[in-house]
Amino acid sequence: MNVPEELFYTSDHEWVRPSESAVRVGITDFAQDSLGDIVFVELPTVGAAVTKGGALSEVESTKSVSEVYAPVSGKVVACNEQLRSAPELLNSDPYGDGWICTIEASDPAELKALLGPEEYRAVIDGQ
Amino acid sequence: MSHTAGHLGDSREASLRDSPLREEHEALGARLVDFGGWEMPLSYPVGTLAEHMACRTGAACFDVSHLGTVRLGGKEAFSLLQTNLTNDLAKIAPGQAQYTHLLDDDDGSVLDDIIVWWVSRDRFDVMPNASNTERVRAAIGGEDVTAERAVIAVQGPRARSVVATVSPQAAAVGHFHVATFEWGGLECVAAGTGYTGEDGVEVAIATPAAASFWRAVVAAGAQPAGLGARDTLRLEAGLPLHGHELGPGITPLQAGLGWVVGWDKGPFRGRRPLEAERASGPHRKLKALLSTGRRPPRSGDQVMLRGTAIGEVTSGNYSPVLERGIALGFVPPATGEGEEVDIVIRGGSVAARVVRPPFYKLSVVEETP
Repeated sequence: MNVPEELFYTSDHEWVRPSESAVRVGITDFAQDSLGDIVFVELPTVGAAVTKGGALSEVESTKSVSEVYAPVSGKVVACNEQLRSAPELLNSDPYGDGWICTIEASDPAELKALLGPEEYRAVIDGQ
Repeated sequence: MSHTAGHLGDSREASLRDSPLREEHEALGARLVDFGGWEMPLSYPVGTLAEHMACRTGAACFDVSHLGTVRLGGKEAFSLLQTNLTNDLAKIAPGQAQYTHLLDDDDGSVLDDIIVWWVSRDRFDVMPNASNTERVRAAIGGEDVTAERAVIAVQGPRARSVVATVSPQAAAVGHFHVATFEWGGLECVAAGTGYTGEDGVEVAIATPAAASFWRAVVAAGAQPAGLGARDTLRLEAGLPLHGHELGPGITPLQAGLGWVVGWDKGPFRGRRPLEAERASGPHRKLKALLSTGRRPPRSGDQVMLRGTAIGEVTSGNYSPVLERGIALGFVPPATGEGEEVDIVIRGGSVAARVVRPPFYKLSVVEETP
C-alpha cells in the first residue's frame, strides 16, 4: 500500500495534506483498495462547518456505503467537483486527482495530533 | 472512514466451505468473501466494473460452485418435483432446464428459487441457492452432490465462442437445454442457463477436473468475475435475488413471476394460498426503477409518489452500462411503467422512473440530467 511520506493520516483512513491556508483531504490507498470500485461520492457543501471526527462525505462502491470523517475541524472551502462525474478518481489517484475537499482548519493543535506515515502504516498492518 | 452499509460481508468465519477452485482464485489475486456459508471471490484485481463490462461486451467466467446440486433419480423423481415445486415439468423434456420455486405451504412465500436440470429421463439435478440447499433437499429428497462438482458460468456475447475452444460439446448446448459432455475423462454437465441477462453456458465439472476447465476458459479469453459483478449484472438484467426480491412474505405473484407457476398441473406445495392471492390480486408488485442520478439506491430505501411513501427498494446499485442508479422494489400493483417516483437515498430524494427491465437494454442518452 502506498503511504506517502509528506502526508498526515487518521486511523479511519483519511489523509491530510497541509498547506499554509487550508488542508486538502482525501481517503488513503488502503481505503480505496478495500472499498473496491467507487461509483459515487457525496461531496460536502462549500462553506459548511465541520468538526473533527464528524461526518464529511460519503463514498459508495458497488458493494457498500462508507462515511468519510473530517480529520480536522474547520470550514470547507473547496470540493473536488470532478468527482461528481468521475468518482473512479478515488481509485486511480487517491492522493492526487482523487482528493475530496479542502478545509480551513480552525485548531492547529488538531493537525499536530494526526498520525505520521509510520504510525499510519502500523494501523493498516494491524488490519 | 467507516463502512455503514452493504450486503456482501468480508469476514472469515470458522466453518466456511471452499470452492474446488479456491487455489485458482488465490492465484488470480481475488478478494474472497463469505457468501451463503462459502468463501467465494468478490472481485479480481481488475475490479467489479471491468468484470461487469467484460460480461456485457465479451465473455466472463464465474465460479458459482456455492449453488447446491441435489440429485434425484428413479421413477418417482418427476412426480416428487411436480408436487413440491411450482413450475410444470411437463412443459419441458429430458435434456432441458427450468426455473422454478419452492413455496411455503402456509403463505405461498418463496422459500427458494431453483433451476432444475433435467439431465436424462430419470435424473434431475436440482440447483438451489447455497444457503437453501439443505431446506430444498429436505423438501424434495434426493442426494446432495454439491461436493462432487464445481459449477462455472461462462457468460457474455462471446461466451459460447470461448467455451467452444475448450469443449465444442459444452458450447453447443441450446438455450435452457442440458447436455452431458466429457472433460478430463469425467462426465460433466452443460446447461444453457445463466444469471446475467447474456447468452452463455453453465457447466458442472467433476471436482478433480474443475481447475483445468477453469484455467482453459480463462486462457481462452474469459475474464474471471466475482460475486460483485454477478450482483450488478443480475440487477441490470432485472433478475431477482433470494433474500431480496424473493423470501419470507414474498410470493411469486408479487415478484411478477406468475409464469413460474404451473397452474394447469395438479396440486403442489403452496398452491392453496397462491390461488387465494391470484383471486384477490397481489397487494404489491416488484417493479424496476431507473434513477436520474448516479447514486446507488440500496435495499430498504423508500419509494415515494407525490410525497407519499408507496414502497421500498429490495435491491439497488449502480448500473455500469447506464451510469445511473437502478433498483428493484415493491410498489402498489397499479404503479405503471413511465410513472415518475422518488427514491429516498440516505436522506436525499432522487427522481426515478418505473421502467421495463432489463435495464441494460434501455437507452438513457436523451434524458441525461
